[in-house]
Amino acid sequence: MVVKVLFYYIAGYIRITVEGYFIERFINICTQKNILLWNTKTIGTTIMKTNISISDFRKLHVIAKKTKCRIKIKEKKGLPFFFERYKKRKILAILLVILIATMIIISNFVWNIQIECDGEINKDEIQAILEKNGLKIGALKEELDTSKIARSIRYEREDIAWVGVSFKGTNAIVELIKAEQKPEIIQENEYCSIISDKEGIITKINVQNGTAAVKVGDLIKNGTTLVNGWLQGKYTGIRYVHAMADIEAKVWYSQKRRVYKTQNIEVSTGRQEKKYGLKLNNFEINFYKTLSKFENYDTIIETKKIKLFSDFYIPIELKTIQNYEKEKQMVTYTLEELKENNISQMEKEIEQEIGQKENIVNKQINFNEQDTYVDIEIIYEVIESIGTKEKIVF
Amino acid sequence: MLQRKRKKASKLSRLLEIPNEVSGNEPKVVITGFNELIIENYKGILEYEDFYVRVNTYIGIININGFNLELKQMSDEAVCVKGKIESIDIETNMEEEER
Repeated sequence: MVVKVLFYYIAGYIRITVEGYFIERFINICTQKNILLWNTKTIGTTIMKTNISISDFRKLHVIAKKTKCRIKIKEKKGLPFFFERYKKRKILAILLVILIATMIIISNFVWNIQIECDGEINKDEIQAILEKNGLKIGALKEELDTSKIARSIRYEREDIAWVGVSFKGTNAIVELIKAEQKPEIIQENEYCSIISDKEGIITKINVQNGTAAVKVGDLIKNGTTLVNGWLQGKYTGIRYVHAMADIEAKVWYSQKRRVYKTQNIEVSTGRQEKKYGLKLNNFEINFYKTLSKFENYDTIIETKKIKLFSDFYIPIELKTIQNYEKEKQMVTYTLEELKENNISQMEKEIEQEIGQKENIVNKQINFNEQDTYVDIEIIYEVIESIGTKEKIVF
Repeated sequence: MLQRKRKKASKLSRLLEIPNEVSGNEPKVVITGFNELIIENYKGILEYEDFYVRVNTYIGIININGFNLELKQMSDEAVCVKGKIESIDIETNMEEEER
């Protein structure tokens, strides 16, 4: 019966009042004739409120005559009556049609390009390649061949392993997976020698195959040959081999910085203002008229594409402009303050360059104080295994 | 004649253990909580007022007393009464008892 009631909501139903002395008879005749009544309620003894479907209502006047009841319509509910109400409003209907039509037309174009990638692939370069192949904002979706675009990206870029181009609503999603760059591996049966790739002093050299060209304590430069890829015998002559060796060297990493004692610093005062605008391709509408009230300020402009659903972008952008007020200040630092501010920062930078912290042997910090500035130099002494293999070319 | 037929049918249904309300015309009264009452296999409504509903069935009359009684849903096989029910009493038909 619940399903029936639900069906009657869609088909439409009427709430009526029945007034008469034989309400019970009226109900009984209705049930006999298979007329569904629901939510029946009496008011006093002679008046009854009940719900009835539209089609059954047409049969009702016969019963009403028989039982001498009077029937009044109180409410009309359900979808047919709802549509009836909006039938006369033609402009609304036309606007609705126009809205749906524009939505359909808009949904045929690409309005946003979303590039998803891990690692440090330059998105602008990818965008340039996409644009060359026709995938740009405002392009017709049907004219684009996704597999062809993906192929052209892979053709032009060697550092990309996989490209996926797909459309979701008006959003074009380009997924990239970066290829891991493989070092050039020299086969075991090929001849090679070992050369240095860093500057330093050799602390250990342990040759397994080949002839050592340097000894412990030697100063080496970038590109110095460490182990030659040949063996020389008294009677056998020169025989070329695949050089192998463990070489460790003391390497220095240093960083220099000149810091002035009096500095011009811009400090934000905390005051800010927000402005909004709309952007449609190259056409801009600004919702503000005045210029910024601040004298010195930073501006951050953010544009955000408006989307109706999760992937349905429309070609209108919302622009927010934020101005942060700033103040110029002359600050004089003492030597201690300068040290505090700079050293830890410099150390972090060097340690990032070194990578492995366990290898650090020695650390040295030098200062050179002058009238107006301080020179700070930090030197790290690190023992590292060095050397890269290089093919011998005859 | 008619009565005999009915008896035969009930014998068969007793053998097959078909519930009475399915095989015969006996009403089934279900009370859910104290606010809802469903009567299946009813004949018609004799009286209906805010505080009193009198339902006729094939073997007797069911009286329902309470407040704000509503006939929630009504079809030819079942009637659902909703409201604050206070008491129910049953009047059995005399001829039915003799049988």
